[in-house]
Amino acid sequence: MSWVAFLRAPRRLVVRTAPPARRWLPALFPLALPAALLAWELLVHAARIPVYLVPPPSRILFVLWEERGLYLQATRVTMGEALVGLALGMGIALGLAVVTTFYPPLERAVMPLVLLLKAIPLVAIAPILTLWFGFGPIPKVLMTALLTFYPALVSWMTGLRAVDPAALELMRAWNASGWEIFRHLRWPSAWPYTFTVLKTAIPLAFIGAVVAEWTGASGGLGRAMWLAQTNLDMPRLFAAAVILAALSLVGYALASWGERRVIHWRS
Amino acid sequence: MLEIRILHVHHMFSTPQGRWVVFEDLSLEIPAGSFTVIVGPSGCGKSTLLRIVAGLLRPTAGEVRLGACPPEEARARRWIGWMGQAPALLPWRTVEGNIRLALEVNGRWLQPALSVTELIELVGLRGFERAYPHMLSGGMQQRVALARTLAPGPRVWLMDEPFAALDALTREQLLEEVERIWQRFRATVLWVTHELHEAARLADEVVVLAGRPARIQTRFEIPDPRPRRDERRIGEWVHRMRQALAGGAS
Repeated sequence: MSWVAFLRAPRRLVVRTAPPARRWLPALFPLALPAALLAWELLVHAARIPVYLVPPPSRILFVLWEERGLYLQATRVTMGEALVGLALGMGIALGLAVVTTFYPPLERAVMPLVLLLKAIPLVAIAPILTLWFGFGPIPKVLMTALLTFYPALVSWMTGLRAVDPAALELMRAWNASGWEIFRHLRWPSAWPYTFTVLKTAIPLAFIGAVVAEWTGASGGLGRAMWLAQTNLDMPRLFAAAVILAALSLVGYALASWGERRVIHWRS
Repeated sequence: MLEIRILHVHHMFSTPQGRWVVFEDLSLEIPAGSFTVIVGPSGCGKSTLLRIVAGLLRPTAGEVRLGACPPEEARARRWIGWMGQAPALLPWRTVEGNIRLALEVNGRWLQPALSVTELIELVGLRGFERAYPHMLSGGMQQRVALARTLAPGPRVWLMDEPFAALDALTREQLLEEVERIWQRFRATVLWVTHELHEAARLADEVVVLAGRPARIQTRFEIPDPRPRRDERRIGEWVHRMRQALAGGAS
């Protein structure tokens, strides 16, 4: 058996000392996106892919710059709809989550209705909302609210219940009221979940607003995309998509930053 | 101070496997200001008894009196100090904030004997007032929990294996300090543990609980002066508890 051990020993040594040459590799990771864009640019030119199928990134950037006024206006419209819808969806979700923690049996009345709403496909609701409320911002806000409401509700319902049972027992030994338990225990316990909600709901909010705009709108990025698509104008379509992606990223980054600031006590 | 009277308590859990009788006509009187330790094997119902005394659990039959009050009333008056195995600190509050919580919750009319600063001093955490729980060791976290238990000035301390999750050295040290603090306040203590050595060190009176349903196998006083450092003498008390437990198991 001893010769087996002899064979194994050096191998372990090799594994433990990381080769110094690899240390520069992680430093290159943030360059992944620029590298992908460059590859895209080169591929489009090399393969002579027509612009109405896949536009090169340089062309998209050019369009964005050329028509910045138009895109700025569209972004303002979509962002407004998305944020109001997000606030509405999250607000209703929070209210329902709080009410069901104070009165748990209510969950049995609320959840079937919520699941029904969730089960109806987005693409089916969007045109109906437009039909009912017209080309203005209301159907977009409602769509966004519908889309963000569900993940927010589920997260908060979980968060408000995710309390340390030992702390709950202690509060009861102090004869704490339901309100005191909520204020000192449940509400702060739900804070980490609030940021999880934001991180998933912000991208969803933009999707909701754009899908609603797609079915009929007087402005916004979704309408810009729809117009571009009907004209087979791929650079314009991609330009709007780039803005949407950037908005989602910024929203996500803001939520992460807020999370680190507020939940500093999590080791 | 308050005496604790447990009068003909029956308790039963209903599980899918059937009914499980924890106590059948259990009575126990704990004199005011005494340090009573309940020892017994895991799962014998020690913690259940403590919960019944705290009013966190209502017994199937029988009653509990703290002084002249039922547990619910004693709880509402903030006479009960509760400490469990987990420190149960709120991670978003500092050491100071966690201790103050005991005064903020249902405590508008409380007149604590010691200020938060004095409590922190008492449990040896000076300099850590603004630290968050995740920065503290397990032993330090239990010190915070101890200070929080003492903050409202409870007349009864209900302690459910408070140091069971700590290492032996830290436990030793904390036991010594709890004894010192208790001698200052002389509250009625009901302390649950499965550590026989701990029981022999701390108890005025030991109650050995075992069997199904749980019965008091024996109870005896330990009149030795504190602090108890005579290991041979402690060993004798431990031996006596072990014998009672062996009798209960058969």
